[in-house]
Amino acid sequence: MSGFGDTHPNRKASTCTHVYYLRGEPSAMPPTLVSVAVGVLLGVALLGTAFDRRSLTVVAVAAALPDADVFVSLLLPGATNAVFHTAFVPAVAAVFVYYDTTHREGSWLRSQYGWRGVRIAWVGLAVYAVAGIGIDLFSSEGVALWYPLSDRYYAVVGKLVLSTQEGVVQTYIEFGDGWLGLASPGTTESHHVESWVTPGDGGRRLQLIESGWQAVIVLTAAAAVPAKTLVDRGDR
Amino acid sequence: MPTSVVHSAVAVVLAVGLLGAYADRRALAVVLAVIIAPELDAVLGFVMPGAHRTVLHTAVLSALAGGVLYWDTRRSGSWLRGRWGAYGVRVAWVALFAHTFAHIGLDWAHLDGINFLWPLVDQFVALDGELYVSGEGLIQTFVDVSIDPTTGRGVVDAGQSGTTASVHVSTPVQPSSDPDPGPVDRRFPIAVGGWQLYVLCTGLFVLLARRFQSSDHQS
Repeated sequence: MSGFGDTHPNRKASTCTHVYYLRGEPSAMPPTLVSVAVGVLLGVALLGTAFDRRSLTVVAVAAALPDADVFVSLLLPGATNAVFHTAFVPAVAAVFVYYDTTHREGSWLRSQYGWRGVRIAWVGLAVYAVAGIGIDLFSSEGVALWYPLSDRYYAVVGKLVLSTQEGVVQTYIEFGDGWLGLASPGTTESHHVESWVTPGDGGRRLQLIESGWQAVIVLTAAAAVPAKTLVDRGDR
Repeated sequence: MPTSVVHSAVAVVLAVGLLGAYADRRALAVVLAVIIAPELDAVLGFVMPGAHRTVLHTAVLSALAGGVLYWDTRRSGSWLRGRWGAYGVRVAWVALFAHTFAHIGLDWAHLDGINFLWPLVDQFVALDGELYVSGEGLIQTFVDVSIDPTTGRGVVDAGQSGTTASVHVSTPVQPSSDPDPGPVDRRFPIAVGGWQLYVLCTGLFVLLARRFQSSDHQS
């Protein structure tokens, strides 16, 4: 990957592609609880009339599922944020659901679970990709998005600011040598994503919330579920 | 502020689900207007020190609005219901919910936080900390309760950052309360940090997904 030369005029000297300080952001991986909270929020937004306790449970599990690759990392070092965080999992699943629901005479999904089943499958898939994989992609630990084709981790970190003195300041993507470069903390060999299953030097801890904004997202999701239930009762 | 764009993205996610059958372009526009409006207290900063994140960012406003809304919609001759029907009632509640969580909530966790109980108490509070399980059990560092060794009294640290006299949260309107001579750099952040861009993309995703979704079957 090229384009990481520190030539960007608006980049502070301290920001580098070091593992623990990627483009000015401290090393962090949004905890599973936050993925679930975002998943629940997406479920509230997209499930529509299929919203109930059962469908919400499916969606919450879909949000948490990618983080289960920490267990794989016990057998296969470097599997964290790679094996279940690859874009191929939701892509393949989407092809299956699409084929089953549109190109087959008797759709298995529809005959088993009806219209609600199809809706829940699509929302679950979207949540797997957005709340499960996406949230980690936008953190400095990064995600091996094209695993197993490529074992490189990618991280979308930086900022986008309009300044009256400096114009557009953008550090999410580096433009250099004709490449669009995202920051990368390394490959599955060089970059170890710490987790409570495979802790680093810091000791074993199961992180639930790691900052203020994450706490707000969790609170918001916790409030949105009863709000949606109330609203649905009024709609019927 | 985490920018109005970020607030709006969270508000869209909340509004799309909670508006339910009433989700249309007009209802979304009302919710977004309610989300952006509180930033107007930045302008008040010129006449009242520390006005931004104080006057229109107080949780007292949410509580008051909630009280008035509840009172009005419960009585028989409801003004809101009479004027706009069930649609108006729903949009008002959703806008209040979005304002409280997507705006006040996120600002609470950003920089110096918000003046939570102004005008009752003039105290900025910033939410910051972690929650984790380690060998010592479940640990949270958002609110720190300790005993002051000199006075022996209990001290609660919930991220108190100052009062309207000492806190100035930078805005493009008034980047600093004590301007330097020379050109002023007014910064309009769109997104700062990976997570803010993520929230922005998620809001756009929900709008798009809702558009392409098949219409709801009534079950």
